[in-house]
Amino acid sequence: MGNKKNSYSMIVAIVSILIVFIIIKFIAPYVFMFLLAKDHTMPTPSTLMLWYMILAILGALVYVSTSDLKWARFLSFILPAGDDKTKTLFQKIIVISFPLLVGWFVYSGTMSGTASPVELRIQHPTLLQEYEKLENPFANADEKTKRRYVEEGKILYQQNCRPCHGSKADGNGPFANAFRLRPINFTDPGTIATVVENFAFWRIKEGGPGLPNVSTPWDSAMPAWEDALTDEQIWKIIMGEYATAGVAPRQREEMEH
Amino acid sequence: MKKIKKNLILKGLFICLFAVALSFICLSDGVAQSSQLFKTYKKEVSGKIPETSDSIAAGKEIYEKRCYYCHGITGDGNGPAAPRLDPKPRNFTRNEYKIRSTGLSELPTDEDLFRIITSGVEGSAMPFWSTLSAKERWQVIHYIKTFNKDFRDKAASKEVSSGAGKASDQESVKRGKKMFKEAKCFLCHGEDGKADGQITTTLKGKWNLPYKARNLTKSWLFKGGNSSEDIFRTVTTGINETPMGSYADYLTDEDRGHLTHYVKSISYDMKTEVVLKSKLTVGDLPDSPGDEAWNTASSVELPMAGQIIASPRFWTPSANSIKIKSIYNNEDIAFLIEWDDMTNEQSEVYSDAVALQFPTKIPEGLKKPYFAMGESGNGVVLWHWRAYEESLHAVKEEAEMGSETATDGGGVVAVEEETGHAEGGETQEESAEEEAIIEAPKEKFKNFMTIRELNAKGFRNLVVQPSNSQDAKGKGYWEKGKWKVMVTRPLVTSDKKIDIQFEKGKLIPYALAIWDGSNKEIGGQKSITSWYYLSLEMPTPKSVYFYVIIAIIIAVSIQFWVIGRIRRFPPEIPAEEV
Repeated sequence: MGNKKNSYSMIVAIVSILIVFIIIKFIAPYVFMFLLAKDHTMPTPSTLMLWYMILAILGALVYVSTSDLKWARFLSFILPAGDDKTKTLFQKIIVISFPLLVGWFVYSGTMSGTASPVELRIQHPTLLQEYEKLENPFANADEKTKRRYVEEGKILYQQNCRPCHGSKADGNGPFANAFRLRPINFTDPGTIATVVENFAFWRIKEGGPGLPNVSTPWDSAMPAWEDALTDEQIWKIIMGEYATAGVAPRQREEMEH
Repeated sequence: MKKIKKNLILKGLFICLFAVALSFICLSDGVAQSSQLFKTYKKEVSGKIPETSDSIAAGKEIYEKRCYYCHGITGDGNGPAAPRLDPKPRNFTRNEYKIRSTGLSELPTDEDLFRIITSGVEGSAMPFWSTLSAKERWQVIHYIKTFNKDFRDKAASKEVSSGAGKASDQESVKRGKKMFKEAKCFLCHGEDGKADGQITTTLKGKWNLPYKARNLTKSWLFKGGNSSEDIFRTVTTGINETPMGSYADYLTDEDRGHLTHYVKSISYDMKTEVVLKSKLTVGDLPDSPGDEAWNTASSVELPMAGQIIASPRFWTPSANSIKIKSIYNNEDIAFLIEWDDMTNEQSEVYSDAVALQFPTKIPEGLKKPYFAMGESGNGVVLWHWRAYEESLHAVKEEAEMGSETATDGGGVVAVEEETGHAEGGETQEESAEEEAIIEAPKEKFKNFMTIRELNAKGFRNLVVQPSNSQDAKGKGYWEKGKWKVMVTRPLVTSDKKIDIQFEKGKLIPYALAIWDGSNKEIGGQKSITSWYYLSLEMPTPKSVYFYVIIAIIIAVSIQFWVIGRIRRFPPEIPAEEV
């Protein structure tokens, strides 16, 4: 029962924080690689890392201070160890590593040379007014003609869009690796399936150069196709593109004031 | 006794802890930002179904939904998208199957077809079709086989032995290198495996297709995989309807193993990095592209694509990647740009060339100019080196130097070109600039020619800088299938408005473009990269250590204050628990 005086809850807290660190830093990249079926690891972004660690430390502190007893035990680790050699050892480790850790933070913070560029989030633009009212001229064709237009659109897609967006519309064309802002994967339900056809029309026609200023990160390699394709061709491409990707465009809500 | 032992354990533990902390720091640097971008050749085969008229019909349906755009509705490799493809899609009516486990000019097995459909072909437009179910893939295979009667008429091809793989070692690689010479591999694949062999470019096959030997150094573009097993298979089976024959009869299994190990040893993986660090050097910068000093700087390799941003778009570029490194000193910055090019054929119009692009001004916020030649109000500056001008320059130098021999390979082609074109209108202006440089007082970058600096604010808005503003110099040579071009410019120039002024410690966007003259690349017909970043490495300022020491002192004092306080007023453990 004499052991009870020597609580190790401080060590437990530190070890748990370390475990959280190891999970986020080294295990998560592999877990996400597996979950998202990527062929490379997905490292946790450093700002996210910082927040997780702050949360972990705060959580540990909240836990040890939930009751007076726990708090007292937590602090009691700093008291003289007496005969307990392990405790002396841990105390020494803490006393030495804390200032070193602080020193390391300051060092890595002031070493500006190793900074990597800020990568902005992809900010989706809102559809311009002038495109809002456009209609797909082929929308009301009968089934047979429509099928012909879709096929024509698929061919135009394969000729013009395939190098980047890929034969399967999965954003994996042979040129895709060269663009750091990768071409969009149309088969992803979060991309073209969430926009109306008019939006796709605008993006194809005006491309990256036509994006409004608020649409970061300003690195889109999407060409402004108005220099080579007619409006009719673009509408056909849209039909072919949705068909190739196997998704449907979002339908416009009827009830808009 | 006991005390000493405990002490040792303590010390040991402490050292371990420190080592762990250190390794964490190292690891976190290593992982940063390099990733594997490419497909792999998967060998597993699954879910084979019997060939029936139903499966063929189902296959036809899939084929006409997914495949015909490239391979053609009749399987002749001439679909509507084919003209914009390089390499061209397979023609299924002929036996030009490349990746097989069967002997030369035999048809592939069904499993071979399954593997290639599942894996796709890196470096071509063929995607991986693992998105189709195994059953659907088999159905497509059954349909594809109907395009070529031989699949039905001829007996099924036999697989050739894949050979017992022996582990690679230095001895084996050395013998493989000998095989590479003896089997005349270099005649097509080039001495360094850069596909610049002398007969490659002159060969044309039965069906008048241009043949390109494989560049054996870029392992990520090996068709049908880059494992030793895959390379061994290609050497053994050859590639149908190409000059790449089977070496099964010519070399023993063992020798092909050595050859495989050699090929493997000269190939590498692409490692790309977003930030290129320019190395600071105290003395002179390297004085030529071949200078040993370049070995001290580390390079990054960037993937490239055809210029598809503005009309006329370019679908079939030669170059697919480029390497760059950089060194700077207090006055100048220099870049070494390297890329593989099978040929060194220059003319006044179509010449190999490279351009480095920077924003005119280092962006202050996050917004950079548009990566493809800037935009109005946000311009870029381009440094444009051309092989043709280099050859003219080399000839001129030679003439001036009299008996001195030409320095590098750059001048080789020039001799015959020069007589015809040296007096051409465009070059006159050029030579005037060159003279200005040669007469410049400082003798650094001797033999370098002034390269053209241009400003762009969008594709249609390209201006050559006035001749007194041309500060960039370049020198390059082609050797064994590879261009090495060094370009350099003072860190700061007097043209603040039109030139980028390099600053330490800032992230400076840069992009590259390449033209391959022999592929008729000119103007917008080129390979391009996205923006990447250049960072001029800074020596660690002394103040950093100062801050660290202060921080540690503060941390130590706070720590001991807390400990002291707690020890003076020990926390009371609530009574109930005692």
